[in-house]
Amino acid sequence: MAFRDTLKANLDVALASTNVSVSAELPFNSAGEPLYTKNMKHVYLDEDNISKTQLISTLDKSDVMQTDTTVTAYLAVDAKNDLSDIDTIVASILNSRDAVTGQTVNECEMETDIQEDIITYTFNYNFITV
Amino acid sequence: MAIINVSAGSEAVLFLGDSAANANIAGSDGLQLPKMQDITLNNSTGVFRFKTLDNTAESAVTTPATNQITLNVVVDDAAFFGTGASVDTVVSTGLFGCSKNKTRVYFNAGFQGTDSGSKYLSGSGFISGLAPTVNMDSPVWVTPVTIEVDGDFANASIA
Repeated sequence: MAFRDTLKANLDVALASTNVSVSAELPFNSAGEPLYTKNMKHVYLDEDNISKTQLISTLDKSDVMQTDTTVTAYLAVDAKNDLSDIDTIVASILNSRDAVTGQTVNECEMETDIQEDIITYTFNYNFITV
Repeated sequence: MAIINVSAGSEAVLFLGDSAANANIAGSDGLQLPKMQDITLNNSTGVFRFKTLDNTAESAVTTPATNQITLNVVVDDAAFFGTGASVDTVVSTGLFGCSKNKTRVYFNAGFQGTDSGSKYLSGSGFISGLAPTVNMDSPVWVTPVTIEVDGDFANASIA
């Protein structure tokens, strides 16, 4: 199961009683505009980005590999009328990192960007396993 | 003359056994230690220095060598704790069992792999220095291993 699916399943439950919902679609651009700005108050999750790097090299080539997986989530809302429960929503999205189990690192950082009257929350999940 | 390049992954090998026969680099009864990160074979002679009144510099003579094999490995459960069922004590009790029980371990340390004509050092000694460690930045067990060689190294080529 892709981490994106795990995160979506967790966010579906965690955000069920909030002012936002989770889209099953990928955050592609439609008519030159990202879906998350076109459909505000919907969380969009991008596909998993996976990299494998060498953690420990061994003389018999049975190297220990590390897998880094990153997933990016987007949420856009009206900057003029911020959601009353935005703090809860942000906390829930950040906490959903723990839904992915079996990792040595479960991190999520958030950054915001305001363009005209839209504020976009970008969440970068980072998972590491060996 | 040629350098010995181990990048193919099959050259630097260490075979252990409870007898010289079982530790044979060309055999299959001993333990071929997997997942070695590095290996160092120490043949360090001691030095006795002395001064004489008729010489402007010290003289030196070598004394018997301290022979030792040091290496670091990623802990493999079968190699470290043993398989529990083998005619060879090293295979059945693993590195930890040999260290704890102070079992004499015979070794063949290959420089060039296991093909005919490849060079290796052999001898026997005792395993010590096990110190498995792990942390969340590198979440697999690794341990140093020392074989305190009893006596001399012998070098030979695989027949």
